[in-house]
Amino acid sequence: MAERRTFMDGVWRLLLLLWAISIIFPVIWILYQSLRTNAAFFQDIWALPKDIQWSNYSKAWNQYKIGQSLLNTLYYVGVSLVLGTFLTTLNAYALTRVQFRGRKLIWGLIMLSLFLPGINALIPQYILMKTMHLTNSLTGLIILDSFGENVFFLMLLGGFLSSLPKDLEESAFMDGASIFQTFWRIIVPLSTPGIVTVAIFKFLGLYNNFLGPFIYLGDPSKYTIGVNMYQANMKMQYTSDWVTMFAGVIIVMIPSIIFYVFFQRRIMEGATMGSMKG
Amino acid sequence: MNAKMYGDEQAVRKQKGSNKASRQRTVFLIVAIAPSLLGYLLFTLYPNLMSVYYSLLNWDGLTDAKFVGFDNYVSMVKDKFVWRALYHNLLYMIVVPALIVFISLLLAYLLNNKSYKENSIYKVIFFFTNVLSTVVVALLWSFIYDGSFGLLNGMLELFGMSMNDFYWLGDTRTAIWALVIPMVWGGVGLYVVIFINAISSIPKSLYEAAYLEGARPMSILFRITIPLIRGVIRVCVVFVILGSIKGFEIIMILTNGGPEGSTDVIGLYMFNLAFGKEYHNYGYASAIGMFLFVILVGAKLIIDKFYPEENVEY
Repeated sequence: MAERRTFMDGVWRLLLLLWAISIIFPVIWILYQSLRTNAAFFQDIWALPKDIQWSNYSKAWNQYKIGQSLLNTLYYVGVSLVLGTFLTTLNAYALTRVQFRGRKLIWGLIMLSLFLPGINALIPQYILMKTMHLTNSLTGLIILDSFGENVFFLMLLGGFLSSLPKDLEESAFMDGASIFQTFWRIIVPLSTPGIVTVAIFKFLGLYNNFLGPFIYLGDPSKYTIGVNMYQANMKMQYTSDWVTMFAGVIIVMIPSIIFYVFFQRRIMEGATMGSMKG
Repeated sequence: MNAKMYGDEQAVRKQKGSNKASRQRTVFLIVAIAPSLLGYLLFTLYPNLMSVYYSLLNWDGLTDAKFVGFDNYVSMVKDKFVWRALYHNLLYMIVVPALIVFISLLLAYLLNNKSYKENSIYKVIFFFTNVLSTVVVALLWSFIYDGSFGLLNGMLELFGMSMNDFYWLGDTRTAIWALVIPMVWGGVGLYVVIFINAISSIPKSLYEAAYLEGARPMSILFRITIPLIRGVIRVCVVFVILGSIKGFEIIMILTNGGPEGSTDVIGLYMFNLAFGKEYHNYGYASAIGMFLFVILVGAKLIIDKFYPEENVEY
């Protein structure tokens, strides 16, 4: 259908363009300011960098100890991701495809948490973690995030798994495969697309998680990257070292950008899939 | 006899085999379910139940807890900060979802129904804010809003409006509205993508029929597109409203409820009572947490009543 281009089309295109600019422009502004000196920045916030100050980046890296917090984040995100995804997959398989007594009860019990907002559980959860000596520890956070709440992903993966044909396991059992083998050799390979989607969203959730690490990590040497930048920004209010802060924010954004570039299509598809289920 | 023995032997072997298989199955089930289930009971269900009990205590986390019954709830009702925070919550749960749904519907409609050549790039750009962490979104906006060196005042100055170092987040009149923008900005992308997918699943024949009958683009939007994706819009409305009650991270990072409590919301108030620097008041904070729980459930019920779920058939 050929559409006529009218005056309104101009308005709509401008609107779309403005929204896109509102997203890109601040990022680019911070990027080029991060390459200037503080003095030049304070003088004119618009001027382009004259001689590029890469040293802001090394300064941000060293001053905010970004290396350390990236390692912490890598450990926290990496282990929670692998452990959490593995547990969710096992759980989803057992609860949606294996018949056993009490299955409905367990499923119902877990689904109960959909009605719990969780926010009022923050304090008891903290006391519990403290009693178990899991506060101020990245491993504690990993335990909380891999074993704690996973209903959403459980539903997502459960839905995916129950769409696989029924006779898959049966023929495997006929051939003498144990349930472990069936799970590992048949279910996991076949549900890889679902598992990958869950893993991508777990990654985004974990990398962007702020409140959890903020509450549980007291020691600066244990900060994740998000908490680290938050604390650095609090300090910046006294030092007014803007350009270094800009460099730090850009460094923190890089993993998100790379991740987004690689998984963009999958993230967008998964976003729709996930939210419609909820 | 031989045959019978042979049969028995096979039966025994078969039984042995199935015993082994059922043992394996049991072991598998325990391995697959126990860790997650125990973790769920311990880290999710138990804290949720305990929050009811904690709300009946007078407890700072250090000294012994004292059971005070409903005292916390009584003080909560008298606490004007709670009511102020609730007012801000109500404001955010109306303004933010309305803006998010309106803007993302419009953008999704344009991206889907107009074939501008730049549309595919926009889709990628719009979603980008949803990949960024709350900390990054908040820091970006703190740089934009800054009085002396912020992007916003800088731009206004380019247009000849001098703001005299006006700090948007530092003024009680503007702070609450200044926070709406990053919330909307950071949330729209996801809903654009959701609405695009919903709109593109509407059969093309419906549009074509409407075109043939000479319908105008606006009436197509309001008569065809929006009614047919009502269900999706509903889910999104629920999501954003509940999210706007629960989410306080962005407020915490940008203003921490200030200036003078003008941006405080219930979740943040509770958080600061429990984990703030000065003192810990776990009992009272838990009572406020219960209040928040009631608001969330209430909001859900109100949405269900006024915007019931329905299935659309094409």
